[in-house]
Amino acid sequence: MIAHAFFFYFFSFIAVVSAIMVTVSKNTVHSVFFLILDFISISSLFIMIGAEFIGMIMLIVYVGAVAVLFLFVVMMLNVAKQKNTWFKSSTNSAHIPIGILVSIIIFFEVIIVIGGWKYKPELTKQIVISDITNTHSIGNVLYTDYIHLFQLSGMVLLVAMIGAIVLTFRKREGLKRQSYFKQISRERNEGVSILNVKSNQGVKIDD
Amino acid sequence: MMSEIYYVIPEIFLSLSLMFLLLIGVFKKNGSTIVHNLSLLILIIEIPLILNVPSSSEYLIFNESYKIDYLSNFIKILIVISTLFVLLTSSEYLKSIKIFNIEYPILILSSILGMMVMVSSNDLIVFYIGLELQSLALYVLASFNRDNILSSESGLKYFVLSALSSGLLLYGCSLIYGFSSSTNFLQISYNYNESTQGIIFGMVFILVGLAFKISAVPFHMWAPDVYQGSPTSVTLFFAILPKIAALTAFIRFLYTPFVNLIDQWQTIIIFLSIASMLFGAVAAIGQKNLKRLIAYSSISHMGYALAGLSTGTNQGIQSSVSYISIYLIMNLAFFSSIFMLKKDQRYYESIDDLSGLSKNHPILSLSLLIVLFSLAGIPPLAGFFAKFYVFMAVIEQSMFFLAIIGLLSTVIAAFYYLRIIKIIYFDKDIGKYDTDHNIGLKISLIFTTILILIYFVYPSSLIYFVSKINLV
Repeated sequence: MIAHAFFFYFFSFIAVVSAIMVTVSKNTVHSVFFLILDFISISSLFIMIGAEFIGMIMLIVYVGAVAVLFLFVVMMLNVAKQKNTWFKSSTNSAHIPIGILVSIIIFFEVIIVIGGWKYKPELTKQIVISDITNTHSIGNVLYTDYIHLFQLSGMVLLVAMIGAIVLTFRKREGLKRQSYFKQISRERNEGVSILNVKSNQGVKIDD
Repeated sequence: MMSEIYYVIPEIFLSLSLMFLLLIGVFKKNGSTIVHNLSLLILIIEIPLILNVPSSSEYLIFNESYKIDYLSNFIKILIVISTLFVLLTSSEYLKSIKIFNIEYPILILSSILGMMVMVSSNDLIVFYIGLELQSLALYVLASFNRDNILSSESGLKYFVLSALSSGLLLYGCSLIYGFSSSTNFLQISYNYNESTQGIIFGMVFILVGLAFKISAVPFHMWAPDVYQGSPTSVTLFFAILPKIAALTAFIRFLYTPFVNLIDQWQTIIIFLSIASMLFGAVAAIGQKNLKRLIAYSSISHMGYALAGLSTGTNQGIQSSVSYISIYLIMNLAFFSSIFMLKKDQRYYESIDDLSGLSKNHPILSLSLLIVLFSLAGIPPLAGFFAKFYVFMAVIEQSMFFLAIIGLLSTVIAAFYYLRIIKIIYFDKDIGKYDTDHNIGLKISLIFTTILILIYFVYPSSLIYFVSKINLV
């Protein structure tokens, strides 16, 4: 149990510190890095108490989709103008030291959580009723007892998709699009014309 | 499992047909007209499908998480019929402000699918999914006219505030799940014998979330801006359908999981009701825009509907349901009249634009007169009967304070309705509006106005259907 307590405090410490860093750090890109670190620490905590499904979903949804999306948005909007003086570096590469720091911590966390996996049964022996895993037991009810909710969630996602398209898609005028059919079916005599050019007069192109 | 599907045929048909409409919209160039007409057809087919579902007793399906009973079927029919009229009235408006897209009827259909799930939910999760399905479509509909800055603003405002209220509602749901260890409505009412404190805490949060959806005071702040900013056809939808669904959700929550906590929720509902009636009556006086005015008017009408619910009797529920049925007819008639205020491809929505309307448009003015008198609750029009039923139910429980406040706010509210009538009939004439409206708009105006006018001849027609709702 001591090892378990140690890992718990380790992950919680990182989670709290990185949550504070998200709000404190002046550079938005760094904030997003710390946000990712925070999500990963919390999902490690979930894995430690035997809720491996929620932990993995946290990783996939928050880290895999949401945080990376944030990162893209922040980088594209170019809001990371303020200089952070903690890590001195040349003009453009200010993100790299923080990025490396965060990824090193994540690397150690992953090693520890895999190493600490064998401490999990000791904790969860008292609460687990049957020997099927979380993912199995969710799967058992998701497509049987809760099938109507599953289908309705699909409808919610469909409406979200339609809504995103309605609000953002616009037909722009004068936009040139590639048409493969037109390209392939183009003949030589449409594209090339042979002219008899008089000297000192030139040819007129694109009239 | 297969036999359970028989009870949800209307929902399945609706979801399949809206996907079918989506496919038509994708593959057919300029398919807006055909998609709009097909959506009307789908709604017409939906009525016999709902009538076909047995409603003589309660049927609990899908692990008791979905309830089919008389109330759910009645409300579903109400939803489908009013959506039919909303689509009939709005096509001309949509064409002239150039948002006659295929997505419009599809979003409306998916929203009413969510409402159907909401009204027959018997489980917290099912209820929440239905609520999200209906409001997600409504966010998009509110900002459907995205080139208009007011429309975008109203969509964003509605989205942010509604997300906040959903958060409160979910917090309440999680508390109730924690204290009763079930998400099923019936199980919740069985399980909380010892620890009612946590349940009451959760119940308050759920009621706040629901009050937000029907824009009861003090959770009404979004309503005027959203009503004014959205396209008028969407405002009509907002004013009617989410209110029916959320009021039914109120009935479901108050009379299934929280039925033993009546002493606790009664005070909350009475407060919401009194505050909405008074605020809606007073705040509407200074309004200059018709859509803003109808927003405040709908706040006050929701107060009356909640007054019926606060009694805790069958008669109270029945009076609320008949109130909301008459309310939707009056709103349809009022908005049909607003859709007729068109000149040179522009729609007018200020109260001053009605000035002297009776000189050039006697029939339109007459129907506006009938609708406004009915909204004010003047006998013998339908609006009077709606208020009459509610006050009957309230007085029967000797809640005289609530009844007196309701009567007082009716008198205050009569002022601004009568002021519009005065502007229509006695003010200076400011010119003619177009008269070449499409047939659907004319039909719905005539139909709803006549319904309001002749309701007193045979009032038991509505009473007969409503009196079958027995929950307590």
